[in-house]
Amino acid sequence: MHPIDRALNALDGKPTDRVPTFCAMVEDRTFNEILGKPPISQEWLMTNPAARFVLDRWGPKLTRPLFQPEVTRAMEKRIRAQVELGFDSVWAILDETFTVLDHATMVRFTGSVFNIQPDGYGNMTYMYRGPGFRSREDFESWPYWPDVDDLAHRTYTFFRKMVSRYGNRACLFGQGPAYGIQESLLWAVGFEKMPVWIRREKDLVKRYIDLNEEICLKTNMALLDAGVPVILQTDDFAFKSGPLMNPRLIDELFGAPYRRIIKAVHDRGGKYVLHSCGDNTLLFDTFISWGVDGLHAYENTSNVDIFREKKLHGDKVTIVGGVGVDYLLTDRSKDEEVVDTAPRTRRWWTRSNGSSGSSAPAAGSSSPPCTA
Amino acid sequence: MKESILAVRRAIDELDIDGIGALAVKCLEEGLSPEEIIQEGISKGLEIVGRKFEEGEYFLADLIMAGEVVKEAMPILKERMNPGGRGKGTVILATVAGDIHEIGKNIVGMILSANGFEVIDLGVDVPAQRILDTAKSSGARFIGLSALLTTMVESIREVVSAAGAAGLRDRVKIVIGGACTSMELCKEMGADAYGETAIDALRIFNDYAAGA
Repeated sequence: MHPIDRALNALDGKPTDRVPTFCAMVEDRTFNEILGKPPISQEWLMTNPAARFVLDRWGPKLTRPLFQPEVTRAMEKRIRAQVELGFDSVWAILDETFTVLDHATMVRFTGSVFNIQPDGYGNMTYMYRGPGFRSREDFESWPYWPDVDDLAHRTYTFFRKMVSRYGNRACLFGQGPAYGIQESLLWAVGFEKMPVWIRREKDLVKRYIDLNEEICLKTNMALLDAGVPVILQTDDFAFKSGPLMNPRLIDELFGAPYRRIIKAVHDRGGKYVLHSCGDNTLLFDTFISWGVDGLHAYENTSNVDIFREKKLHGDKVTIVGGVGVDYLLTDRSKDEEVVDTAPRTRRWWTRSNGSSGSSAPAAGSSSPPCTA
Repeated sequence: MKESILAVRRAIDELDIDGIGALAVKCLEEGLSPEEIIQEGISKGLEIVGRKFEEGEYFLADLIMAGEVVKEAMPILKERMNPGGRGKGTVILATVAGDIHEIGKNIVGMILSANGFEVIDLGVDVPAQRILDTAKSSGARFIGLSALLTTMVESIREVVSAAGAAGLRDRVKIVIGGACTSMELCKEMGADAYGETAIDALRIFNDYAAGA
């Protein structure tokens, strides 16, 4: 069976010759190791004094001509590495959401601020620093909103290339420069203030959700037009202690836009997988009511009993994930642990899920430094 | 129990951020002390919120909202408060070196602060030595360490080891939490306790403060 048919059959709940695999690699170090490290380290390029001076002075102006092409190259390398490892399906992301402010700071266009920092292995990475919107005025005067049509066009151009290069070797689960509506709001106003914004700034929250719906919708259509068969949308609705919000409130705020987006994807012939970290046990019915075809990530700290969930919901949704590389493949792992655990994980998954479709083993959010 | 203090308790329970300020003022006008309002109104209200969270009726956002409701009332009460009133002890909170995630830590800080602990929040990416220096200078008996990244868990061990080397282990309890932590990790690192949620953390520190 071709890998693409295998992955799509699983999402349709149809039989497969074996359980399909999905790779969720997002760490620069991992794909650079797989493909061979680049001759000049990204870290050096970003942290040497000359680069710091230039970025501090002209960061925003240089984002489009210099920084973004480097990120986009990294995005392609990420896809290439996953395909070369032989996975049936891979996470293909285009992250054109940032503007560099200085050598240590970038902003995402939907209102959040991130640190740019070395990953300790020669690559650069980023981590959430805080909200971009601390007040109504911040929201109204935010200067980084994208031109959504231009964004969709660039999404189409990038994924057209990716589909022509890799689209016949693995099933691309594509994500354009659009992060989840709920998580974008959470990053934009800050975790601690989000409940207050939802209570006190209803009109702004509604406008914010509408803007993000437009970004998701248009970039998703661009992905499908480029030939990507599956949309994978990240939106972390839960923590290991459970959903961030009452599922009723989640549905009230985000249900309608997600239903419209997923319907549009289906109408265009695509499949829709939602990635939501944490304990999503209470959210399965909500997500299914939105029309999702698959749900990912079920990392091993998520507290979701995916086998119970498969029994309960396996006829309606495909569960993707459940392999704990976050623990297995770290610098602290010993070689013998990896050698011992990998086949055991495979047997465990196959025994529990068979190859009856509606499941695919995969890592959670990322594959940390790989020793395999 | 006066109706006004029950109204404060209800406002916390019902997450009434817009009404709590006026209710706190009303309690003070009726002659209630800030400590009474905190103990019988706010803390009891937070207990109800915590119970509802544990029973699955309330969610993380509701916990946060409860913290925000308390924040609305606290400046009003603090103005009239006896400076020695926060008697449960001092907790130093930090996200360990190498990790900059702070949401969970901030929630814990908010809940502890609203429940009578003095919280010294050192922020994120905090070296072990700074945590210990602060423990020494403040006389804190409790340290709460947060870690989200699996790759940074060794930083927890560093704090525990350094506390031992500095002779602080008999005096200071170290509690860990965060996405990558677990009871097993707590044992492996030699920490004293593991809290999965902010409410767990409150219960653990309350037990330690009570000498349990």
